[in-house]
Amino acid sequence: MRGFGAINFILVSLTLTLSNYPKPAGAQETTPGELLPVRQVTLDNGMRLLILRRPGAPTISFAVRFNVGGVNERLGNTGIAHFLEHMLFKGTESIGTKNLEAELQLHGRMDTAHDSLIEARIQGDSTRVLELSEEISQLEDSAAVFTESNEFSRILTRAGARGLNATTTNESTTYFVDLPKSRAELWFALEADRMANPIFREFYAEREVVAEERRMRVEVSPAGALAETHLATAFRVHPYGVPVVGYMADLQALSRKDLERYYQLYYGPNNAVVGIVGDLNPDQIEEWAQKYFSRIPKSELPPAVTAVEPVQKGERRAELEWDAEPQLQIGWHVPSGTHTDAPSLAILTSLLTGGRTSRLYRRLVLDSRAATAAFSSLGPGMRYPQLLQISVTPRAPHTTKELEELIYEELELLVRHGPTESEMERVRNQISAGSIRRIQSNIGLAFQLIESVALFNDWRETFRYSDKLRAVTPEDIMRIARTYMTRANRTVTTIVKTEVR
Amino acid sequence: MKHTVKVFLSLVLIVLLATPYKLRGQHSLGEISFPELEFEPPSVEEFDVGGVSVLLLEDHALPLANIYIRFRGGYGLFSRDLYAAVSALPSLIRFGGTEDLKPDSIDKVLEHYAIQTSFGSGGQAITATVNTLVEHFPLAINLLGTLLTEPAFNSNEVEVWRGRQIESVARIADDPARLAYSEFNRLLYGDHSIGWEMNPDDLEPKDLSLEHLLTVHSRIICRDNLLLGLSGDIRWSEIAHLVEELIDRIKPCSISLPEPPIPIIRDEPGIYLIDKKLEQSVIVMAHPTNLNLSDDPAYYSAMIGNSILGGGGFSSRILSRVRTQEGFAYSAASLWTTPRRYPGLLGAVTRTRPENAVNAVKAIVETMMDLVEDPPQPSEITTAVDAVVNGFVFNFETPSQILSRMMFYLSEDLPRDWLERYLTGVKGVTSKSVHHTFLEHMRPEEMMVLIVGDLERMGLESLTNLGSVRIMNGGEFY
Repeated sequence: MRGFGAINFILVSLTLTLSNYPKPAGAQETTPGELLPVRQVTLDNGMRLLILRRPGAPTISFAVRFNVGGVNERLGNTGIAHFLEHMLFKGTESIGTKNLEAELQLHGRMDTAHDSLIEARIQGDSTRVLELSEEISQLEDSAAVFTESNEFSRILTRAGARGLNATTTNESTTYFVDLPKSRAELWFALEADRMANPIFREFYAEREVVAEERRMRVEVSPAGALAETHLATAFRVHPYGVPVVGYMADLQALSRKDLERYYQLYYGPNNAVVGIVGDLNPDQIEEWAQKYFSRIPKSELPPAVTAVEPVQKGERRAELEWDAEPQLQIGWHVPSGTHTDAPSLAILTSLLTGGRTSRLYRRLVLDSRAATAAFSSLGPGMRYPQLLQISVTPRAPHTTKELEELIYEELELLVRHGPTESEMERVRNQISAGSIRRIQSNIGLAFQLIESVALFNDWRETFRYSDKLRAVTPEDIMRIARTYMTRANRTVTTIVKTEVR
Repeated sequence: MKHTVKVFLSLVLIVLLATPYKLRGQHSLGEISFPELEFEPPSVEEFDVGGVSVLLLEDHALPLANIYIRFRGGYGLFSRDLYAAVSALPSLIRFGGTEDLKPDSIDKVLEHYAIQTSFGSGGQAITATVNTLVEHFPLAINLLGTLLTEPAFNSNEVEVWRGRQIESVARIADDPARLAYSEFNRLLYGDHSIGWEMNPDDLEPKDLSLEHLLTVHSRIICRDNLLLGLSGDIRWSEIAHLVEELIDRIKPCSISLPEPPIPIIRDEPGIYLIDKKLEQSVIVMAHPTNLNLSDDPAYYSAMIGNSILGGGGFSSRILSRVRTQEGFAYSAASLWTTPRRYPGLLGAVTRTRPENAVNAVKAIVETMMDLVEDPPQPSEITTAVDAVVNGFVFNFETPSQILSRMMFYLSEDLPRDWLERYLTGVKGVTSKSVHHTFLEHMRPEEMMVLIVGDLERMGLESLTNLGSVRIMNGGEFY
């Protein structure tokens, strides 16, 4: 059979299929995700667990999400949530030590020296700063004698763990790992221990590691620096404007006591949601959860974030001079991910840059060949009013200014005429397929469940969201584009090439 | 013809955690007992269709299906004047339209039916993956056949691809790691295809002429080069005719592609510097080795040895020293490449602020020297081997993973039970065998070290202590 015959048939029949696949706009139907046999357990101390059995390879994915991230920071302690995430791999009172008492004694001496160092730094006494830095370094070397470095990770590695890691975002910190199902109990024992008894050993060396991470992600990365500048320009009040990795000066002043206080405030079991997905026995998992986690005492819930970004009244522009080729980022303030306009905003990003037939990709990359890439996204978080951002990579000799004009022209067309039904159908179909694809991976499912509970207090909401997306109309798109994508509400940030060497 | 390729897995209980960690307010880890893990991996069926090996792994968990295509024939099997054309081929098959369909018509079909495609290329092969809802499988495999066999190489799409590559070349120095890795590759492999980096001379319009594209297409997209894999909610009885139709449309090869030449890797120890004002230096170091992927105790010892040296994350020595102990870097790892037929590389990578660069190199070299001088601790062998043995089940997590691996075995002429052999081989590794392998293959003081970083802040004198310093400018030394 020759292929083109079949394909031509497909093209002819495209319109015909619209009526029967997939569901028409607005149709309410239970999504595949909502049918998953998720068991929700809440322990007496407030810790919530989502347990899901999925037959397959005998492996289990574990994720524990604490409701703390960059938004729970202030200028002066930026980066602390992320730094704490690093420190929670340093072991506990019993894991990672040869002599806890000796370690703690040396920690005290280091921290006293660090307090003096901060004071000397404020006084501008650079000689004293150097002396104290050397003293701290020597004390940390002394403490190393009593430490079993990386023991927490090593125990999991020997058990065959995969993907052991953690991530800190603007509004969450999540620790995750995959284990063979025969080792599941080990996860409970280790995770409960580090929630209850962490020791922040190797603190000063790890602070340097975090500084190196900032250098890698921001200070030698034009894309990272552009993103940081963009958010700092768009958000002047809300902590979405400060970088999760932290500013260098703040990192270099953080103390072990700062981390301990922060940990006490935000790492209570009632501020955590756990997702466990894989080839598991839900009864056994619940039994282990009770056995290991229920002993951890409940904490006071941490303070809410009260900062509200004022309405932006005028376009903001920022230039970043860098030894790099130009980049363009435009952002408009839009409501949070839980707002009723959120589904329309998600559809709008897909209409703009989701795939080769999307409006901006076609106009900027394929037709005018003025750009090599165009992306859009909502962020940097979901819990608070956020940005709809468009990022474009110009293709020389085209400039960021030309691209800006093309983008605004396309947005104007969208505001005036709205998307076509065929465009909307394409996006809806992708949502339907996406709702199946997104439940393929155990760790991906674990993340979805815990994020849905953290944001909406209901694990099913993440799956119901597909219906809300399908219900978006062309009129909704025109309305939100007209409402939010205004000149006064936007922030434009560019990289301007400046050759250093 | 149908074979059943079955990997039987018997995971032996490894007694872990003999150390009785007593967790405060909790239970001792030593009290936890771990049951034996019984698991029989899913079967991969193999069919011969018109001389093409077709692998099938049924997975009825979700209404999805995947098609995996591999054609032998990357740019490494062609001369440099066809480098751009071969590199562009996968993208232009997907995006360049066909005899009867314009590029945007194909986009609309794929996006309307939410069919995901991924086309890529490497030095040895070009690959494609198609993921679809199973109800659209007939459409997807048919369209794939059309894309593969009737490409039009639309001139606008050729220009879009060319422009993207030119822009990518112009932006290479924006990312110091990308600059370091590409320059290091070029330094080591010179004119061999492994060392090729795209440059504007490769991207003249003539390099992507229709004639060039048709030439490479006819030589690569032919039946003798093809391996096909299928997975998902499908059954052979239901799809066999569609697979036969696809293969039938792909003509036999008229000319066999040659084996690529054996590379000669530069082996001139020293410091190679790309001077650039940066807050963080990128360091990559290596020397050639002649240890290949094969069913040989030395290979298994090298894999476990590399895990101990710097491939095993936080359990490895390089990360423990450079990150945990010294606080020099966020990332630091060893690399030991073991190609099937060519020499490979043994070395390490890290990145650190300029003032620490020299000390970071020293720390890595010292860590390597320690493993040359003394065997690793038995506990390190246990950790590395247990990680492989206890984590073995993760090799069978997804059908995609299993099929990709089987296709790799077939393409590399490895036995179908290679993974099982690997498990057995790794279990036989000892402290002594790892030490012997390091003694034979690792030369810590003879590394070629390339650094992208700020010379002024690193200090020429300090760098000279590491070895002779050659400053690179656009690939040349001065």
